[in-house]
Amino acid sequence: MRAKRKLANVYLIVIFVILYAPIFYLMYYSFNSGGSMHDFKGFTLEWYKEVFHDTRLFIIVLNTLVIALLSAAISTILGVIGALAIQMLRKRQVKNSLLTLNNVLIVSPDVIIGASFLILFTIMGIKLGFISVLLSHIAFSVPIVVIMVLPKLQEMSPTLVDAARDLGANRWQVLSKVVLPFITPGIFAGFFMALTYSLDDFAVTFFVTGNGFSTLSVEIYSRARQGISLSINALSTLIFLFTIMLVVGYYFVNKKTGKSNGMGVRGR
Amino acid sequence: MADRTIIRFEHVTKQYDDDPAVLNDVSFEIERGKFYTLLGPSGCGKTTILRLIAGFIEPSKGKIYFNGKVINNLPANKRQVNTVFQDYALFPHLNVFENVAFGLKIKKMKKSDIEEKVKEALRFVNLAGYEAREIREMSGGQRQRVAIARAIVNEPEVILLDEPLSALDLKLRTEMQYELRELQRRLGITFIFVTHDQEEALAMSDEIFVLNEGKIQQSGTPTDIYDEPINRFVADFIGESNIVPGKMIRDFLIEFNGKQFECVDGGFHPDESVEAVIRPEDLQITTPEQGKLQVRVDSQLFRGVHYEICCFDEDGNEWLVHSTKKAVVGDNIGLTFDPEAIHVMRFGETEEEFDKRLEAYEEAGHAK
Amino acid sequence: MQSRTRNIYLIPYVLWIVLFVIAPIVLVVYYSFFDIEGHFTLLNYKKFFTPVYLRMTLSSFWYAFLITVFCLLLAYPTALLLTKTKHKQLWLLLIILPTWVNLLLKAYAFLGIFGAFGPANALLETLGIGQKQLLFTDFSFVFTSVYIFIPFMILPIFNSLEELSPSFVDAARDLGASPWTTFRRVIFPLTLDGVKSGCQAVFIPALSLFMLARLIAGNRVITLGTAIEEHFLVTQDWGMGSTIAVFLIIAMAIIMILTGSRR
Repeated sequence: MRAKRKLANVYLIVIFVILYAPIFYLMYYSFNSGGSMHDFKGFTLEWYKEVFHDTRLFIIVLNTLVIALLSAAISTILGVIGALAIQMLRKRQVKNSLLTLNNVLIVSPDVIIGASFLILFTIMGIKLGFISVLLSHIAFSVPIVVIMVLPKLQEMSPTLVDAARDLGANRWQVLSKVVLPFITPGIFAGFFMALTYSLDDFAVTFFVTGNGFSTLSVEIYSRARQGISLSINALSTLIFLFTIMLVVGYYFVNKKTGKSNGMGVRGR
Repeated sequence: MADRTIIRFEHVTKQYDDDPAVLNDVSFEIERGKFYTLLGPSGCGKTTILRLIAGFIEPSKGKIYFNGKVINNLPANKRQVNTVFQDYALFPHLNVFENVAFGLKIKKMKKSDIEEKVKEALRFVNLAGYEAREIREMSGGQRQRVAIARAIVNEPEVILLDEPLSALDLKLRTEMQYELRELQRRLGITFIFVTHDQEEALAMSDEIFVLNEGKIQQSGTPTDIYDEPINRFVADFIGESNIVPGKMIRDFLIEFNGKQFECVDGGFHPDESVEAVIRPEDLQITTPEQGKLQVRVDSQLFRGVHYEICCFDEDGNEWLVHSTKKAVVGDNIGLTFDPEAIHVMRFGETEEEFDKRLEAYEEAGHAK
Repeated sequence: MQSRTRNIYLIPYVLWIVLFVIAPIVLVVYYSFFDIEGHFTLLNYKKFFTPVYLRMTLSSFWYAFLITVFCLLLAYPTALLLTKTKHKQLWLLLIILPTWVNLLLKAYAFLGIFGAFGPANALLETLGIGQKQLLFTDFSFVFTSVYIFIPFMILPIFNSLEELSPSFVDAARDLGASPWTTFRRVIFPLTLDGVKSGCQAVFIPALSLFMLARLIAGNRVITLGTAIEEHFLVTQDWGMGSTIAVFLIIAMAIIMILTGSRR
């Protein structure tokens, strides 16, 4: 019995070590003065200096953040509207088919989304760059917001709305005073998910970004293809720390707003 | 004696981490072929006892015997007991037949034998012909029966039932009470039934264990427990009762409400402070002059079989009366009762002491 | 009253669906009928059924299958053991956390790990096997992919295990089932939905991974994703790229139907 428990613990520890080893490996060598991801020669902050002095990188980080915040905000609004629309539908069939269409972009491989959006933007005559990337990020974030908000709406007892109307609230007041506050945790979770989907996306952006515009993922890809450079390590350490801050923030937002929505997982 | 006993708990304690014990130094015996009920409010430890017997948890202290052998660490799958779960725990991916056959298949019984036994078990619970049904197609009452069939088909020596009726509506529940009792008689095996419903416990059991806060408060036949509750908790939990503080002037004479009444209890110290219990149905309404107690009717409810009348005496004590006759709210009435209707409870008396006292004064009574 | 209040929320939402869900799919199908010069043709489909593309499709499926199987084999025990730990929400958070690290950074880490002088080779050396070419092999591709996808397999399985009422396990034990029988006959069948959605979450992206294939496997592993990327962004043959995309969409739909839960 006890031996079994031990074995189980060993297994879990091994899994956790494997999960984290590569990340810490990256971070560890970001301090290597030797310039490679083996043979730790000595401690240095040179690579971090390089990252901070790289204005091109700075602009790219800024781009990435702007795209992420904008697309998350807009897709949250659209997603909430979408969830309300689905919730208000009476016919089951229509509801289900809308939901299916909603989920198409969630389950589609990035390559397909990227390729088809590339065709779409070309046909519509939208120049590849900031706008096309923003539009695609909004497009693939909307269904995620819907998925995060809809359960909250379904959880809400219909008598709550009846009660508000009974007490004299008009439709707008019902929405702003009752419905939206109730689904706020879902909205926050949706916004947060959209934010991270956008920050993390590579493949879709890779397809629809033109020559002049780049996000962090695309930049990392093109640098990584040229081989190992420890400034990427430094960059990833910074990103990892930033991510942890985001996660902690999300955790507290979730805790504060009561019931957890279940820790979201980023797809892909 | 020993061979009649099938399960014995010896000073069993169950405690999780540093939390207060869920079950605190409990000892009792379960005899073969009887219908037992563990009765108590939620959190009293009754389900813990059941899970200890089933083998889902192990005791922190003490010993559990089954047929004379210690089974503290015997895993659940090696025990001669089967459980009917509160939520029935019917496997949703299996149909009725497969659910009932589950235990037999694990025993590697022959296919034809399994089929025969499952059919018989289903017939036993009046579900013949339902073999191919899916669980989700069954009603609550039917699921209940499948769960029972799944337990009895393994021919266990003891069946454990964890509040199996709580999910059913009132009518079905009453029906199932009869059926379960009847089933136990036909099978002749031990049933241990857990409930928080005192009516259910009184109606079905040979023996009741009343539990509270991890301890057995009182055990005995339904009539014993109803007529002679050992303390305020039991009196309050089982049936409705009027409990008033009083004083034993001497044996067989009690004083409460400033008056002295004859009673049938003895074995007390002179002038000992006690509590007296009178059941609402033992109080009769009469004129104020003829009544042993004078009260004013405060409110009444029609309960179908009887009126539930709530009265107050001059000291502000509440008196609950069950009467087939209607009273008028606001009237002053008299209440009368027989000496046998008074049951006297000593403060902090354990079950053992209670039994001893009962024996002692009964003997003394005979000697007189 | 109710029927008169129009569902105005539908307008922007349906607009989004039409523009970004339906139109792109239609366009992909439409483009698959054109060759590189813009003439209508069925040649792309004919080309897809030549051995070159069929072999590529097959190998793409084979790798996705391998990745899914390894993920499942590692993830199920992990999820099961996680449900039995104290503070399981914390452990779960720790499983999820790596998924928040950009996939490319993780892939980049493996460039170092599997490199000629990386720790993987150092380990092989100390084991006495000697240095091997690890990077740009199908082994490193599968390993890295499994590493990246395993949380997505653990999570749905963990959730379905959590949803599983413990009384089912009690009931099985009560009816005489050993721990292994309980797992085989009760726990696994009742968590099949989680397994299915886990497989779905791994298999579909694994079919179309192109960046990993490029970074880790060099050009040794060519997946459907790589082919699409190549046709769209390198050779500019959108017609052929769309044709492959059409088949990928079909494959995806089939997988969704196969792994769709009955509910």
